[in-house]
Amino acid sequence: MSNYFNAPLTRRQCLGLLAKAGSSSAVLGAAGIFGLTNAPVSASPVMLKPLQGKNRKVLILGAGISGLTAAYELERAGYSCKILEASHRIGGRVLTLRHGDFIDELGSPQICPFDDAPNLYFNAGAARIPAHHTGILHYCRTLGIELQLFSNHNKNCYTQDDAAFNGQPVRIREYEADMRGFIGELLAKSATAGATLDQPFDEQDLDKFIQFAQAYGDLDSNFTYRGTDRAGYAAGGVTSPAILKQPRPLPDLLRSDFCTGAMHFAEIADQAPALMTPSGGMDSIVKAFLRQLTTPIQLHCQVSNIQLQPHGVAVTYLKQGESYTEQADYCLNCIPAQLVSGIENNLPADYVAIMRQLGRGKLTKIGLQAKQRFWEQEDIYSGISWTKQDITQIWYPHHDAFKAKGILLGAYSWEPQISDRFAAMTHQQRLATAIAQGTKVHANYAQHIENGVSVCWQRMNHMLGCGAVWTEELQKTGFKLLQAPAGNHYLIGDQLSLHPGWQEGAVRSAWHALADIERREALRSTGAGA
Amino acid sequence: MNKIWLFFMLLSSAALADSKQPDAQYCLVCHGSAAQGNAAIKAPNLSILPDWYLRQQFVAFRNNWRGGAADDAHGKEMQAVANTMNNAEIEQAIAFIRRQAPVELSADLSGQADLQQGQKLYQQCQACHGANGEGNAQLHAPPLAGQHNWYLVQQLSAFKNGWRGSQSNDSYGQMMRQFAQSLPNDQAIADVVAYIDSLPLPNR
Repeated sequence: MSNYFNAPLTRRQCLGLLAKAGSSSAVLGAAGIFGLTNAPVSASPVMLKPLQGKNRKVLILGAGISGLTAAYELERAGYSCKILEASHRIGGRVLTLRHGDFIDELGSPQICPFDDAPNLYFNAGAARIPAHHTGILHYCRTLGIELQLFSNHNKNCYTQDDAAFNGQPVRIREYEADMRGFIGELLAKSATAGATLDQPFDEQDLDKFIQFAQAYGDLDSNFTYRGTDRAGYAAGGVTSPAILKQPRPLPDLLRSDFCTGAMHFAEIADQAPALMTPSGGMDSIVKAFLRQLTTPIQLHCQVSNIQLQPHGVAVTYLKQGESYTEQADYCLNCIPAQLVSGIENNLPADYVAIMRQLGRGKLTKIGLQAKQRFWEQEDIYSGISWTKQDITQIWYPHHDAFKAKGILLGAYSWEPQISDRFAAMTHQQRLATAIAQGTKVHANYAQHIENGVSVCWQRMNHMLGCGAVWTEELQKTGFKLLQAPAGNHYLIGDQLSLHPGWQEGAVRSAWHALADIERREALRSTGAGA
Repeated sequence: MNKIWLFFMLLSSAALADSKQPDAQYCLVCHGSAAQGNAAIKAPNLSILPDWYLRQQFVAFRNNWRGGAADDAHGKEMQAVANTMNNAEIEQAIAFIRRQAPVELSADLSGQADLQQGQKLYQQCQACHGANGEGNAQLHAPPLAGQHNWYLVQQLSAFKNGWRGSQSNDSYGQMMRQFAQSLPNDQAIADVVAYIDSLPLPNR
């Protein structure tokens, strides 16, 4: 083993390696779901000046996080708002499913079959909040939402790849310890051959670097990796001597794709620990907004026409077959762009043309009710197991340990082709697939699963997509145009952020529009006063 | 705490499935607010299509003549919906579309197409689809004039590659597949669609 890495490594090569590691996480980021690798810079919460007696009416189209944020801020400043929501529910893609909930997927309507118990819920949409998403956390703080820690990375979970270890699941703990051992050995031994470095570190740097490599890989005094308790013990370790696991050979580890992808998932800015999530389900945020709001929210109102007017916007909508029109000074539109493009309007042609080019995010999540919390018998509490099969991930609940039952996430894919495959199945076929594939991670999976829900976001009524897909090119040419108002109409939502699919994007897009409305109101005031 | 949200929460938990509303307003989610189609969803203009053709297509989706191909993601979307609808709901949906006025789309002249060549190619289409693309109920040939050009391109390609018209009991589809296969390449498809796009909207 130790001769694997005798080739000297120059500093340039080392930097090259690091750059490669960086680009692989950038590839993860570009996959859409993970968001960008850059953490968003925190913003001061918007604080609108009171209108002071002026009458301003705002129509908000869509009762998701961006619409609720806008209504909350506007009504506090004295604007008169109304929210029109097309679907049967409030919350948009903040969707926490419980016993009896209706899932309005076109072509696959379901009623959530979970038992009626407070711990049996499934966040089918937004599920986690990183600490630097200061916009949504501002509302969690000010609205008094209780948060729990959410784990994206649990070393006791598994990685499974048919190409490696005969398809058997391996603890992430073991895989990562071995991989780091080999990397540490590579670094330490190539650094010792420092004579060949084209720009050598000084003695102190070199010494520290070798210590780092030793600590990184948990190497012995000869800088050789001989296994580590980081991988977990093969036996003993508490009241009898510990026996370490034998390191798995590097070529075996490399057969798994874990090292080139999922192993680094929790390094991504938006996915790195510590993450948070509201106690009792993500829709605690929606409920908290609703406790504060006096703005009326009308459900089942499907917008059919948006007309810009010289000093406002007229919106026509269908409600149970009847057509109604309302006028307002401003319209904040959170309808997914792919649906706006099918609504009659007099918006500028270049504006609508960009909406037509935005891709529909294709994501599938499956939630499974387990009658025993069998994962706890395998020392797993929260976190994610990974597999190369279509289900991609299994999530274990971060809450309510030792209860009788629990809800697992049985599949989560953001690959369009995979999500298409799930969408093409009936609901029962999706569950059967999730159980069959999960069996490669947990041998007796099927006997524990009682029922489940499946949500293909690209098929959900009134959404037809999850998180707008901007190509790099379209982002350059179209983002600013779509972000700017068209007359008194603003398109908002996570779709108008560089964090599509995140609540942070929704909040910040609303703040962006509100700041612009305030600027225009200030101009109107000075104009009137002059 | 105000009561309004409680009212709406109750309302939402008691809500009927949108897709079971008798007025079939749900068609417009994908097909556009006037049933005029939506390029972003790849949903065609329904407002120009006669009842018999809409009915025929529901049959086609339910028989797996459309949406059956593994890669036909858009066809599968409509197929899934068709499969959840009973005959009464299909008739309600058709009646709902009937109430939408035909929407004339402005011709898209941005493509690199040869209109004259398209007109020549169209000669073999007009026997069934009519000289003005108005369609022919007796021959089960739908109107083409007024349909989105991207949709016509998509469907000609679907017939050509066998997503449509390759099942033995789909006789009209099979017939159309033969004509689509006679179009030699993408340019020929673009040309004939450009010509159809130039035809005015006939009366439904």
